[in-house]
Amino acid sequence: MVDLMLLAPEIAIAVTGLFVLVTGIFMSPQAKNMLGYLATFGVLAALGLTVASFGTEAVMFSGTVSIDALSQFFKLVFLVVALLVSVAAIKYNEDSEHIEEFYALVLFATFGMMFVASANDLIVLFCAFELASLATYALAGYEKQNPRSLEAAMKYFVIGSVSAALMLFGLSFVYGATGTTSIPLIAANSGLLVDNPIGLVAVVLLIAGFGFKMALVPFHMWAPDTYQGSPSVVSALLAAGSKKMGFVAAFRVFIVALAALQPDWQLAFTILAVVTMTFGNVVAVSQTSVKRMLAYSSLAQAGYIAMAFVVMTPMALAGGILYALAHAFMKAGAFIAAGAVVWMVTSEKRGNLEVPDHLDNFKGLGTRMPIAAFAMMVFVFALAGIPPTAGFMAKFVLFSSTIQAGMIWLAVIAILNSALSLFYYARLVKYMYFLPPEGEKVGTPFPYALALLLAVAGVLVIGIWPEPFVQWAMEAASVLV
Amino acid sequence: MIPLNFYLGLAALLFSIGLYGVMTHKSGIRLIMCIELMLNSANLNLVAFSSYTDTLNGQVFALFSIALAAAEAAIGFAIFMAIYRMHDRINLDELNLLRW
Repeated sequence: MVDLMLLAPEIAIAVTGLFVLVTGIFMSPQAKNMLGYLATFGVLAALGLTVASFGTEAVMFSGTVSIDALSQFFKLVFLVVALLVSVAAIKYNEDSEHIEEFYALVLFATFGMMFVASANDLIVLFCAFELASLATYALAGYEKQNPRSLEAAMKYFVIGSVSAALMLFGLSFVYGATGTTSIPLIAANSGLLVDNPIGLVAVVLLIAGFGFKMALVPFHMWAPDTYQGSPSVVSALLAAGSKKMGFVAAFRVFIVALAALQPDWQLAFTILAVVTMTFGNVVAVSQTSVKRMLAYSSLAQAGYIAMAFVVMTPMALAGGILYALAHAFMKAGAFIAAGAVVWMVTSEKRGNLEVPDHLDNFKGLGTRMPIAAFAMMVFVFALAGIPPTAGFMAKFVLFSSTIQAGMIWLAVIAILNSALSLFYYARLVKYMYFLPPEGEKVGTPFPYALALLLAVAGVLVIGIWPEPFVQWAMEAASVLV
Repeated sequence: MIPLNFYLGLAALLFSIGLYGVMTHKSGIRLIMCIELMLNSANLNLVAFSSYTDTLNGQVFALFSIALAAAEAAIGFAIFMAIYRMHDRINLDELNLLRW
């Protein structure tokens, strides 16, 4: 008998999404502002239910959905991102006519991501993956009067659909060779894929399909454009949520289902991880748009997380999973801080309006928006891996496990990359605190400030008191190996 | 009975045509058609495998993916409609604001 309580977080999110969508139709534009609080409340409830159900394990719906430590951990990641995005979007959407659509899409995307995390069957995995993708395509083009937002949506849609087709083609070969779509049964039958050209074709197609979502070089070309052009709160959802969805799907498909083909995909991920982190950091150095710089830094971070596929020890997987949580806080927070600056520039109509997230608009942010500037500083230092932040702990676990596994060359490349990344992060801090402000004090609007402080709290808590989080990540990793 | 490899060959051919089209065409409508071609070649694969392995999962998978392809086309056309309203055409080469 299916115990629906185990799916309570998903149900809470889906019901809130539908409720927001339907009630929004009947509300006046002023009254719609409360929908943001409603959505935030729904996400908080789902977050509480997820944390309360930590430690439960079950397989439901004829073995198609599996609730385990891995799915619980990633649900936590997605809900944290959804919470930060919903809180910040209260201000972003103020007095907009389309609030209900925005929140419904955010919640449906979160719902899809949560189901990807607990998918135990390729059909569920693909449908949930597409649900999250379709909702985020629409969100990327949410500002439909803004040519940048539309261009971002177009690029994301085209490349996302091609990657979905590649993924489906790859999944069809996995199914054809093993005769089943259930992930544990594929793992049991995966001997059929070894030394079989179909297995190799499937691995190539699946790496390309998931690689697009994870934004690994050379499948990254949509990411900088989309993250820059989309509304900042949506970029936060994409970089912090949607990217993690690619990782958890790849964890399930490659490490669990296609474990027998490990030598094949491990080599590919080695190359992808090294190229991705180096390319991301090198290109980020020359960016003048802060959101674009964050996008390239997000590529680099994806490269670090992909090291988990290369090292493949339980400790390294735990490091990669912990990095996913840390990255969710850091990157969502950084994009929301950039969103606060975009809000300031567009509402004041001064500064570089053509590129509202231009580095010049961050000049003297420390005096103009003290909270946003402080939060941004914490996030960029966390992204660079400076203690006592979540970024440091995650990098510490991941890199030390790499050294333990004897892959010192990989750890050296990753650490050199972190050092390089400090250059462009420190430049942003210089603009915020050491250059004179171009305008008077504005102050950070309350919803942005709340979202930023929540993210700062998350970054610092994981950094200062990492034991429980490392423990959770270890439990999640034990599902995989 | 037609051998399985014929179906796989046809699906691979359709998939390649779709991928080639996505990479060369500039019109949004043609792009969506090419993407549909890629998704449908995967469906062909699924149904062929389903028939040859005597399992039903593949057909169920194909049904779901047909529905998802329709939803995807709807979102795509909505985005291209918005682009059309702004630029009066859907030439994707003209969208080049975002670059470095």
